[in-house]
Amino acid sequence: MSTRTLISPATLGRTRGKVVYWTVFGLVMLLFTLVFVGPLYWMAVNGLKSTEEFTRIPPTLVPHGVHTDNFTNAWRVMDFAKLLLNTLWYAFGALAFQLVLDVAAAYSLSKLRPVFGKAILGMMLATLMIPAAVLVVPQYLTVLDVPIFQRNLLNTPWAIWLPSVTNAFNIFLLKRFFDSIPRELLDAASIDGASPLRTLRSVVLPISRPILGVVSIFAVVGVWKDFLWPMLTLPDPTKQTLNVGIYSLAQGVPENWLTAALAMASIPTLLIFVVFQRNIMSGLTAGGLKG
Amino acid sequence: MSASTLPTREATRPHPGAELPRQSGFARALRRNLTAHGFLIGAVLCFAFFSWYPMVREFLLAFQKTKDGRTTWAGWSNLSYVFHDPAFWQAWRNTLLFTGLALVLGFVLPFLVAVLLNEFRHGQGYLRLLVYLPVMLPPVASVLLFKYFYDPGYGLFNRVFELLGLPAQQWLQSTDTAMLSVVIAATWMNMGSATLVYLAALQGIPGELYEAAELDGAGLLRKIWHVTVPQTRLVLSLMFLMQIIATMQVFTEPFLLTNGAGPEGSTTTVVYLIYQYAFNFNNYGGAAALGLCLLVLLAGFSAAYVRLSRDSDG
Amino acid sequence: MRRTSFSPARQIRRTAVGALAGALALTALAACGTSSSDSGNGDSKPGTGSSDPAAPLDPKTKVDLTIDCMPPAAKAAELKEWKQDVATFNRTYPNVKIVGRSTPGQCEEPPRFTAALKAKSQPDVFYSYFTDLQQVLDNNGAADISAYVTDKSVPALNSIDPAVMGVYKKDGKMYGLPTSNYQMGIMINRKLFQRAGLDPDRPPTTWEEVRTDSQAIAKLGGGVYGYGEYSAENTGGWHFTAAMYSLGGDVVGSDGRAAFDNATGKQVLQQLHDMRWTDRSMSQTQLLKWGDLQKQITADKLGMFLAAPDDIAYMVQQLGAKYENFGMGPIPGGKATLTGGNGYMIKQGSSPDKIKAAIAWLNFKNLSPGKGQFEWARTKADQLPVGVPQPNFFTGDVKAADLKSRTDNATMPVANFAPYLAKPIPGKAEPPKAQEVYKVLDNAMSAVLTNKDADIAKLLSTARTQVDQVLANQ
Repeated sequence: MSTRTLISPATLGRTRGKVVYWTVFGLVMLLFTLVFVGPLYWMAVNGLKSTEEFTRIPPTLVPHGVHTDNFTNAWRVMDFAKLLLNTLWYAFGALAFQLVLDVAAAYSLSKLRPVFGKAILGMMLATLMIPAAVLVVPQYLTVLDVPIFQRNLLNTPWAIWLPSVTNAFNIFLLKRFFDSIPRELLDAASIDGASPLRTLRSVVLPISRPILGVVSIFAVVGVWKDFLWPMLTLPDPTKQTLNVGIYSLAQGVPENWLTAALAMASIPTLLIFVVFQRNIMSGLTAGGLKG
Repeated sequence: MSASTLPTREATRPHPGAELPRQSGFARALRRNLTAHGFLIGAVLCFAFFSWYPMVREFLLAFQKTKDGRTTWAGWSNLSYVFHDPAFWQAWRNTLLFTGLALVLGFVLPFLVAVLLNEFRHGQGYLRLLVYLPVMLPPVASVLLFKYFYDPGYGLFNRVFELLGLPAQQWLQSTDTAMLSVVIAATWMNMGSATLVYLAALQGIPGELYEAAELDGAGLLRKIWHVTVPQTRLVLSLMFLMQIIATMQVFTEPFLLTNGAGPEGSTTTVVYLIYQYAFNFNNYGGAAALGLCLLVLLAGFSAAYVRLSRDSDG
Repeated sequence: MRRTSFSPARQIRRTAVGALAGALALTALAACGTSSSDSGNGDSKPGTGSSDPAAPLDPKTKVDLTIDCMPPAAKAAELKEWKQDVATFNRTYPNVKIVGRSTPGQCEEPPRFTAALKAKSQPDVFYSYFTDLQQVLDNNGAADISAYVTDKSVPALNSIDPAVMGVYKKDGKMYGLPTSNYQMGIMINRKLFQRAGLDPDRPPTTWEEVRTDSQAIAKLGGGVYGYGEYSAENTGGWHFTAAMYSLGGDVVGSDGRAAFDNATGKQVLQQLHDMRWTDRSMSQTQLLKWGDLQKQITADKLGMFLAAPDDIAYMVQQLGAKYENFGMGPIPGGKATLTGGNGYMIKQGSSPDKIKAAIAWLNFKNLSPGKGQFEWARTKADQLPVGVPQPNFFTGDVKAADLKSRTDNATMPVANFAPYLAKPIPGKAEPPKAQEVYKVLDNAMSAVLTNKDADIAKLLSTARTQVDQVLANQ
């Protein structure tokens, strides 16, 4: 790393500096590994214990008997694959809706500037001031019986997808980015006779990749981590998300099965994370403050 | 700072419509507006149904009541009901305690970790990965994991304490430590994203500032206080506000760790109380009234946050 | 939703709305009389039909009836029985079409139930817990069926416990018919009783015996405890109520005010406190809710706890327990015991013919001795559990005959329930505004179980003030 930080390179160059650096570094490596990987080890190991050993006092660090059937039982009982598929379906559906509708809205507000655009933007931003938890109850009642359409969205993906579009923060991020695209670029396209849609597709979107990445991560992570809302709107066990499924499971299976389930639920996360870590990291640091 | 990689906003923004040729006329303006609103309509409808309408409904609900199938205006009775609920003040005290503890742990700790990690010339990628790992786990899995760790009998934490020769704790089982335990779990789960944001901000600090401070004879702490903190002030204040807004709405962690209320109600939070009203007591009016209180309290913080993040790229 | 997957039994016992004990007694009396001659001119005035509500359903009438809680495909044997019953029913009423709806989980999950009521999307005949009545009425959800339920439409009517018939009544009008009911008792782990040198055929009958037995079991060590109790998610208050009833106490008095801040209330809390802190015969892990103790007792870590008989079925089916390891006794103290259950209501606005058809079906399936759910020989043949004393709402000769049939066809050691059955204890319904009252009482329960220095007198007086506030807050 070339940038100069808090500690001067000169200090680090000295013997004492080196000793302190490596000591601290070693301690931090050890501590962080324990604190952040330790729990995962615990999960894997305790998922293998028998019901009786699980609650033994004092706890055992290495299981005495290996019970892999905890994993198979948990898999069967919670219908794990189904839960995972549900969650991905909701998450990527929400992503698609947000990418289409929010990008279009931000583009319109930024570049097409319709009448009342300012007012609409203001009203959208105003929703950022309402704590999400406050809206849960009226939103839930709305989903039960959507006005005008008279539809009950309970137990349908719409209950996740449509409310996810009302993400004013993403619209704000997108609009701010679009604002920074020079007018001349768009005017050039427009003089060539391109429609607004075509301009959006062939001029705006290609240069907006970084911000689209950020918005996508927020959209997917938002659904992946949500608990209260899917718990309320997807009560049908066959439609639940992973989070809610685990929670349901927690009520009615032995502790060792549940722990096996927790371990299994963490595996896809870790895989996704390892594969996409570069994108996730850069997205987060670039997009700033939400996550 | 937060938007350091985003292009900056255009310096001059043309007045809407100013660049339109004069001869375009009414028809063209109409067409342009129709197209623009066509792009907007999807999002606007979603907002209308799932955000604006519920907002209005929240206010209406707070002043209505439903009994034997009839909905009537209730005046202030829902609010007074909520105010007279003995759990009301307790829930507020608990929520503020949670927010306070979460600021100490969840706001300060990630900053210190970020400052520390930023100094490392090795293994930074690995450490960043570790800190961020819990953020990606399904939160319910993490919380349930901590629930096992906290068990005073077979739990891991008391076992570790025992090995270290420390007295066993009751963790979630005592009014003294229940909320603290919830905060520790919440911090483990969430500190990763804050740490990464701080790291990004720290990397934007020009090295010369530290050099200058050193010339003035500043020690480590003074450098942090006089260079690092002021240089990351914007990010810090944004994270501060966000932390308050988020933690005041805490639900999942206490709900799963202590089955909601905790010992003598010591982890009952405002949002858990809203949940109880709406979904256990079938009292939507009370839930809405309670929500209104939370809204009023948080609106100021939210407004400051929106304002600050709007200016953050200026 | 947080209540997605627990046993229906939990809700039966938990979600209480209304059902004042006093009103119960009154309506119970009214239930015996079948002479209610006023022709149902309540809020569910029959719309189309002009026929007399008391007249039986004309077999020629064509009726389609949607009904929930049909067993799902996963419960193949139960589904087979359902289909058989529909076929039998259709021999008498060939023109009534029963359209069953099944749900994969429990028949009622409160959020889904609430949602259905709000959206008016419940089926014609819908499943509910005893304690749902007020919520259903608040949503205009159920038809008044008083005039339709007679000893002609429900022949066993006079052999059904009037207290059970009373739970679906309000202001003298009837809104539902029961399917099942329970009475709380004490469940024991027979293995641990034996290991501790206690007699598993003699569960404790007094709270003093509970204490000494609990100590004996906890002596086994290795994380085994004698007694377990809830203190979270309003189940603590629910069990506090059960303990109060067992000692002849009450939680909400007939004057509509808190009635537990007295010697009885003190006794309940003091005993828990002493078992937890003096004897240490209760676990360090508290803040438990419904489901947690079932897991502990299944894992042979817990000696006993207050429970309903069907908890055993839950433990066997979901947690892998073995029937023979568990037994039940009547609730210690034995002055009175908490009761609850579930049944069906009929959707508001249904035509008189629909109501009649629904009652004919419910009578056949759920309320006829020897038929439907009481055809124990068939249940046994289909390898489903027989022998749990639940439902248990018949009285007199009918009860005796039904019990004999259950014993003859039992698939589990019925003797393990003998102490529970041998001593019938008067049932008592949950207090008004039960959930809100329980929430307050949870605090007192969690206090004595997590705080060694808990001030019981103060806890009770605080809880009284708070419960009075809840009750005054209408």
